[in-house]
Amino acid sequence: MREFSVVGKDIPRPDAWLKATGKAVYTDDIKLPGMLYGKLLRSPLPHARIVNIDVSKAQALPGVKCVITGQDIPKVKYGNWRLFPATQDEYALAIDKVRFVGDEVAAVAAIDPDIAAEALQLIEVEYEELPPVFDIESALKEGAPVIHEESPNNVSVTRKIEYGDVEEGFSKADYVREDTFTVHAVSHAYLEPCSTVAQCDLDGRITLWTSTQTPYIIQCLLASTLEMRENDVRVIKPYVGGGFGGKMELRPWEFCAAFMAKLTGRPVKFTLTREEELATGRRRHPMVIYSKVGFKKDGTLVAKDLKISLDGGGYNSMGPTATFLCGNFGAMLYRYPNYRFFGQHVYTNKPPAGAMRGFGAPQSLFATETQMNMAAEELGIDPIELRIKNAMVEGDVIPDVATISSCGFIDSLKEAARMSNWKKKRKSLAPGEGIGVGCYSFISGGVFNWFNTQYPFSAAEVRVFSDGTAHLLTMASDIGQGSDTALKQILAEELGLEMKDIRVTSADTAVTPQADLGTWGSRVTLMAGNAVIDAAKKIKEKLFGAVSARFNLNVIYDMECKGGRVYAKGRPDRGMSFGEAVAMVQKAQRGEPLVARGYYTPRGKGLVTPAFSFGAQVAHVAVDQETGKVEVKKIWTAHDCGTVINPMAAEGQLEGSIHMALGYALSEQFVMDKGKTLNTTFLDYKIPAAMDMPQSKSAIVDTYEPEGPMGAKEVGEGLVSPTAPAIAEAVYHATGYRCKDLPITPEKILKGLRDTKKRKRKRS
Amino acid sequence: MGLPKFNYVAPETVQEACQILEKLGGQAKVMAGGTDLLIKMKHGALRPKTIVGLRKIKELRKISFRKNQGLFIGAMALLEEVASHPKVKKLYPAVAYAASQTATVQIRNMGTVVGNICNAAPSADNIPSLMAFGAELIIASPNGERRILLENFFKGPGEVNLNRGELVKGVLVPPPPEGSGVSYQFISQRSKVDIAAVCVAAMVVIDKGRTRDVKIVLGAVAPTPIRALEAEGLLRGKKLADRSIQKAAEQASQEARPITDMRATSEYRRLMVAVLTKRALLEARQMALAS
Amino acid sequence: MMHKISIKVNGDLYVLSVEPWKTLNQVLREDLNLTGTKLGCGTGDCGACTVLVDGRSVTSCLTLAVEMDGKEILTVEGLAPAGEELHPIQRAFVEKGAIQCGYCTPGMELSALYLLKNNPSPSEAEIREALSGNLCRCTGYNKIVEAVQWAAKELKAEKSKSTRSK
Ligand SMILES: Cc1cc2nc3c(=O)[nH]c(=O)nc-3n(C[C@H](O)[C@H](O)[C@H](O)COP(=O)(O)OP(=O)(O)OC[C@H]3O[C@@H](n4cnc5c(N)ncnc54)[C@H](O)[C@@H]3O)c2cc1C
Ligand code: FES
Ligand code: FES
Repeated sequence: MREFSVVGKDIPRPDAWLKATGKAVYTDDIKLPGMLYGKLLRSPLPHARIVNIDVSKAQALPGVKCVITGQDIPKVKYGNWRLFPATQDEYALAIDKVRFVGDEVAAVAAIDPDIAAEALQLIEVEYEELPPVFDIESALKEGAPVIHEESPNNVSVTRKIEYGDVEEGFSKADYVREDTFTVHAVSHAYLEPCSTVAQCDLDGRITLWTSTQTPYIIQCLLASTLEMRENDVRVIKPYVGGGFGGKMELRPWEFCAAFMAKLTGRPVKFTLTREEELATGRRRHPMVIYSKVGFKKDGTLVAKDLKISLDGGGYNSMGPTATFLCGNFGAMLYRYPNYRFFGQHVYTNKPPAGAMRGFGAPQSLFATETQMNMAAEELGIDPIELRIKNAMVEGDVIPDVATISSCGFIDSLKEAARMSNWKKKRKSLAPGEGIGVGCYSFISGGVFNWFNTQYPFSAAEVRVFSDGTAHLLTMASDIGQGSDTALKQILAEELGLEMKDIRVTSADTAVTPQADLGTWGSRVTLMAGNAVIDAAKKIKEKLFGAVSARFNLNVIYDMECKGGRVYAKGRPDRGMSFGEAVAMVQKAQRGEPLVARGYYTPRGKGLVTPAFSFGAQVAHVAVDQETGKVEVKKIWTAHDCGTVINPMAAEGQLEGSIHMALGYALSEQFVMDKGKTLNTTFLDYKIPAAMDMPQSKSAIVDTYEPEGPMGAKEVGEGLVSPTAPAIAEAVYHATGYRCKDLPITPEKILKGLRDTKKRKRKRS
Repeated sequence: MGLPKFNYVAPETVQEACQILEKLGGQAKVMAGGTDLLIKMKHGALRPKTIVGLRKIKELRKISFRKNQGLFIGAMALLEEVASHPKVKKLYPAVAYAASQTATVQIRNMGTVVGNICNAAPSADNIPSLMAFGAELIIASPNGERRILLENFFKGPGEVNLNRGELVKGVLVPPPPEGSGVSYQFISQRSKVDIAAVCVAAMVVIDKGRTRDVKIVLGAVAPTPIRALEAEGLLRGKKLADRSIQKAAEQASQEARPITDMRATSEYRRLMVAVLTKRALLEARQMALAS
Repeated sequence: MMHKISIKVNGDLYVLSVEPWKTLNQVLREDLNLTGTKLGCGTGDCGACTVLVDGRSVTSCLTLAVEMDGKEILTVEGLAPAGEELHPIQRAFVEKGAIQCGYCTPGMELSALYLLKNNPSPSEAEIREALSGNLCRCTGYNKIVEAVQWAAKELKAEKSKSTRSK
């Protein structure tokens, strides 16, 4: 392994002290002179035709400066799958129909938020109700109400993967099991509600500050929906209070703020309420997952047949990607010689599901991992042994999916078993306690270009100065995960500088180099990291040239940047300070500053991703046999994320993932009634609190990813998948209740306990 | 989320407050900590024209104990103050415990026990144990004061026995009888920090090995907190053996009239009444025997 | 009707006219431009808006500004002692990786301060309980708990130093 000076260290994030002192500026903290406040009118009905909208009373309210409806805006649909315009199914404000409770119908901008809210009450909308559908089954029925004319069967996207011969595979199996799993919707519940501020300058150009993960995507889609040129729209990402996939599309308030800023000539701000976020916001896809797997007697997998239906809600949102990915994740972790997947994205009259941390993996892997645990029991093989037997290894190729260029899966399994004392605990826990395992694999960025970007996937510009400092410009978006810090670390490492020597400017589409697809799919470290290294290498070539000329070095000398100096490797005296070297280059260029751009676009890496992370997790639970309440006592994780850029940050990603997955497994759920979300506060949408969080112990398995920057892979998303199946297995171990429909509730456990007792009585 | 518009007045005496309430009637709402009231207003469930804030009435912040009269908790005593009050902790541990388990630190620093009572949520954490102790409310009006047993105060969810011009001055909790124990138990399904899906308080007085008195109070399983009178009847005058505790617990579960809502189904609630009643009786017995 | 109030925020006196329906959170963020105090829900559930009023932690989104007349308010902007960049709690949050997106951070720090003032040596369970009115979606809380433990040690060391030097 390579020795690093800055990479691999617990470096506190440079932005942390701004956040600790309350000085970090988030979008809603921005106030501009003359700014108006916007609010959205949303549909109270799940499915209806808009017959008429009368805004005259709202317009007449003193203080109201602008009211718009779908009739006022350019008729341009948008959606992130720009490559396939047929999937773009949304208008910023509903034009003909509303398709879920919360669908945006009109917008108001006023001098004060209270007045804007009052004006909403004065807008009169006449609807003609249409029959709604709320679940996959009814949406797929013959004669079901059609939600989008373009998809008469309510299926908007399908995807198939097939390799080997599944039927033949099953014919050779000694043991086959078929199960259907259902998983539910959950909220990103980022703590910062969406917020946006738009300003229109004198020549009509738009600047938008917005809480987003994808400034470049917002820039492009905003330009097309406003019918403007891309370069006339500037998107700036201030500090963002979490995203988790929920802030990666153009959203109606961003459009409305910009559109109304143009109309009024005044800045316009929209900030959603938590109630809006929970009642109408994007969510993780509920899915119905049918999975059939076949094994040999000794536990060797022979085939898998996977059919997934995604409940997409009223619009496509990021559903097409989720449909694509859940099938890929179904093929991961284990070597399935024969594999078939069919996925379909189904419209229903509910708030659309979108991208959420894990992007198809938590659902798909809940099924995979639970089924592995069930099979292990029936085959009489230890669940970890069964996994090791079938585990993917470096060099494995999955047709149409990927090549595994580095893989620490088996080591992760072994390490998780060792740390948790698996063998012993599996046999000798106190009554009511249980232990279970779950695993994951995840992508380090997508190779697919459904956004149809005309630019590299990631870009970086590095400027260096004779005072020994550097300036990194990148469109990569830090939304709290710490990419500004990681990229700074990578640059510091490459240039041999310290963190404090580097200034970072990120995520401003008018200033940072084109382009970056944003923060999702765990792509930032790998892709933007590689772009930074590319730029740094170009800078170093120049510096090496200058130093080499100055000391008249033989061309065979290797050179390096380290400790603030540039010198011949092994001959530190043949060198100079970083700043002096920059000055020399600049002199040689007759004043032209030393600047370089770096790019990264994955090529020849299959259809999915350049690199996969892997990991295994063990959960220990105690279940109160009378109340059915589950306490997760401890979680052990061993994972392979390649070179760790910042261990403290990696652990933070792990613990954050456990938190989110704990909610997914046990406490978070939308309560819906006829398409309406009933639990719209954090009092009733229950994300775990500090007291609910278990202890966490982790180990990082040592691997080096050849495609990653300095060997790194993803660490931010995959970890959200193993927890739910691990807890479900632990609960089964403790009680005999097997969860195939998330979440695991005390009520289901009590019923399971009663059933177990009955079964035992029958047997005896 | 913004609040609707309203007027605000902050009288300095109880008398003055009652007069304002008398004058404004249904258009005014009393506010203690506001942690229930303001939320309901933000959600649009309430739109009072005037809020009568009690903050400036100094005497209402009081918590005091007198041997013969018992404990007085003033209408503005914070949940946190009740939870940490040494006398309450020592003599009324279930009252202190219930207050300490209500909401979060910040809400306990704002909200009051009396507000929790007057809000009359079936799930209110502070009502069952106070009812089990036989607490009374002191109600002030422009013409003087009256007292009402806490268990007679509730009419339905959010509805209480208060007339025009009246407000609650405080709760009076009688001194705990010799040989008594009171336990408070609650459960929420989803998180350790949550509104109770079911809550139960049990009080027993054990005298020469027999149950001289017993009260079982169930919360969140009926429109108001209720006594499980038949379950109590199974125990009164008897030895408090494990078997009879189990029977009483099952009986209590029959007396509950739970509904299904966001927090739990009625079936689960019914099951939990039995479990929590049993646990409460067991703990109360232990406390009684140790006293 | 407007009400005249005078409040001390982070030691500075402000005399303001406020409408009765304005919350302390709105007054801090909109009138005083103290935007370090966040708004995550507006219903008392998340704690992002936590400030201290006369030393007690409260959620500013459920506190009426009219009721703050004569009170002393501490927000994240006033946390660091005069002349210093960071309060030990803030330093602990920075050093221990307790901050990711940072949206919960100001509220968390004030809840931590309230805890440590009342209980200088809290157990881990007490810390978790004391922070349970503050939601964080990024960190999983464990690093925050570690930061509070570390800050408690620092504060005690500081205190014993200053008493010894007296
Ligand atoms: C985040 C959060 C969590 C919560 N968790 C819990 C919980 O776990 N358990 C629980 O039980 N509650 C919980 N609550 C509800 C609430 O905090 C409590 O009910 C609290 O005790 C109410 O007290 P208050 O002083 O704020 O009441 P207020 O809101 O001021 O008043 C409540 C009602 O009582 C009336 N009222 C108040 N005082 C008087 C009086 N003296 N005379 C006549 N009427 C009066 C008011 O008009 C109003 O209708 C929670 C609330 C929040 C915001
Ligand atoms: S914003 Fe006040 S508690 Fe969430
Ligand atoms: S750091 Fe993002 S919510 Fe806590």
